[in-house]
Amino acid sequence: MKLDRVTKRFGGLVAVNEVSLEIEQGELIGIVGPNGSGKTTLYNLISGIYHPDEGRVFFEGRDITDLPPYERAHLGIARTFQISRPFGSATVRENVAVGALFGTLHGQIGVEEAMEVADRYIELVGLTPERDKPAGALTPVEKKLMEIARALAMRPKLLLMDEAMAGMHPKDIDKLVAFLRKVRDEEGIAIVAMVEHIMRAVVGMAERVMVMHQGRKMVDAPTAEALGDQRVVDIYLGRPLEEV
Amino acid sequence: MTRGATKYLPLLPVYLIYLVLFLVAEGMPGMWQLMAMLVFYCAVGQAFNIFLGMTGYVNFGYVAFLALGTYGMALSIYHFHQLPLGVGIVLLGLLLAVVMAVLLALMVGAVALRLGGAYFAIATIGVNEGFRYLIEGTKIWGGSEGIIFSKQLLDTFGREVANKLSTFWADVSVLIIAALAALITLHFIRGKTGYALMALREDEEAAKVMGINVTKYKLIAFVTSAALAGLIGAMAWGLKLTYVFPPEAFDISYTVEGIIIVMLGGAGTLLGPVVGGLLYGLAKYWLTVILPGFQLLIFAPIIIVVVVAFPEGIVGMLRQRLKGTPFEPFVL
Repeated sequence: MKLDRVTKRFGGLVAVNEVSLEIEQGELIGIVGPNGSGKTTLYNLISGIYHPDEGRVFFEGRDITDLPPYERAHLGIARTFQISRPFGSATVRENVAVGALFGTLHGQIGVEEAMEVADRYIELVGLTPERDKPAGALTPVEKKLMEIARALAMRPKLLLMDEAMAGMHPKDIDKLVAFLRKVRDEEGIAIVAMVEHIMRAVVGMAERVMVMHQGRKMVDAPTAEALGDQRVVDIYLGRPLEEV
Repeated sequence: MTRGATKYLPLLPVYLIYLVLFLVAEGMPGMWQLMAMLVFYCAVGQAFNIFLGMTGYVNFGYVAFLALGTYGMALSIYHFHQLPLGVGIVLLGLLLAVVMAVLLALMVGAVALRLGGAYFAIATIGVNEGFRYLIEGTKIWGGSEGIIFSKQLLDTFGREVANKLSTFWADVSVLIIAALAALITLHFIRGKTGYALMALREDEEAAKVMGINVTKYKLIAFVTSAALAGLIGAMAWGLKLTYVFPPEAFDISYTVEGIIIVMLGGAGTLLGPVVGGLLYGLAKYWLTVILPGFQLLIFAPIIIVVVVAFPEGIVGMLRQRLKGTPFEPFVL
């Protein structure tokens, strides 16, 4: 996946300003930055909710700038949302089955096979006991896990996670990070996690970090180097990472 | 029981209700018209449910599809009655009804379905009125005087067969269309289409990034719903009344009735529109007898109570109650 100097404006506000980013297969990337730095807009540009005002978006060498979101999903781009967006009245199983039915496997599997795929990913994220509950009745953390299962059931090549670990207990974060690393190793999915302030998740998971500030890419480097960068410390972390 | 057979169990109560309606109509003197009305409301509810219930979009121009279906039947019999088609003329009328309803649905849908919920509803209000004034203003299809084709029907079939067609077969056909609508609804709910529609009803943006071509699935539901409405119009209004008159055919109160039936019974369920159609039809009948003219005034508070007390409708609530009981597979 490659972003080539994409810019998105909302009226006078430049939410994303000439950001370029390349993601290779199987990479684990963290995108960090304060609230309003353009992280979610960047995700919307990659998943196709927004069309960039300038710049192009490429996926596996193909220009996908003008593709609608559902076609990008078919190619293998999946995402979760900052505020969970389950299909509330449907069961967890049905939610995850939607991912299987319409992701990269769309057109290849029927409803019954999709259920089997769904069951597998529900088990992987540990939601089997909640399988037949309406997704709207889950706890916030369970909803996040359900969204991850739903995105993984799409069998994506790139998974974009938006604050998936916010509000989680540190132990649960460690568990989830370990799980995501395993998924990456087994299925070769590139995973991008976006976080505002949970450094535990970034340090534990990401091999590379991009720091955003006021719509611009400030730093893009291996994790330790990026978080040790003096500008990042000054503007974002406040103190060197060891002290956080 | 095999999985294939259990899939069709929810049709059982629906078809049982239709069978009872038919037997009462046939067996009890004087009941035919009331039963025909009930079947009509069930059928309209089911047709409307495929779009309104399954997508959550409200189409205020819905009656236009019924009207176009009526015109399809009227035009076929009025213009082509001299062709040696026999009963084929009625089939041609049905075909024309479906084609016209589907064409309108495609034209409206391709544009308006790109809009979000409330904008779509507003865009469709104009379609119904616009179409009516188009017919009246340009004087096509008989203009504001409509088309009366009872004479053509008589000429083609003779008195006895013509009578049988409009007093018996027209109503029975609506029953068959209703049964067909139930089968299509079940197929949608249980299939890939149902998952797509559920997802877009719950959260359209999330559905898009999950890989669902939401415009396509909305259009599928819209066109299917329109085609069924066209068939109902062709039979329940066209062949049954043997005339079409624009102010009646484009009467927006049928759209409102359709919405009430779907909400009352349970939007997006299979049995809901049937239960809603029965209750609405019966209540309307009795209210017309007891308090003529007040039925809508009384229905307004009832629907408010229903929406507040059980927003998933009667069948939606019933489904919750029946979870885990042996009745569960029968109610959808």
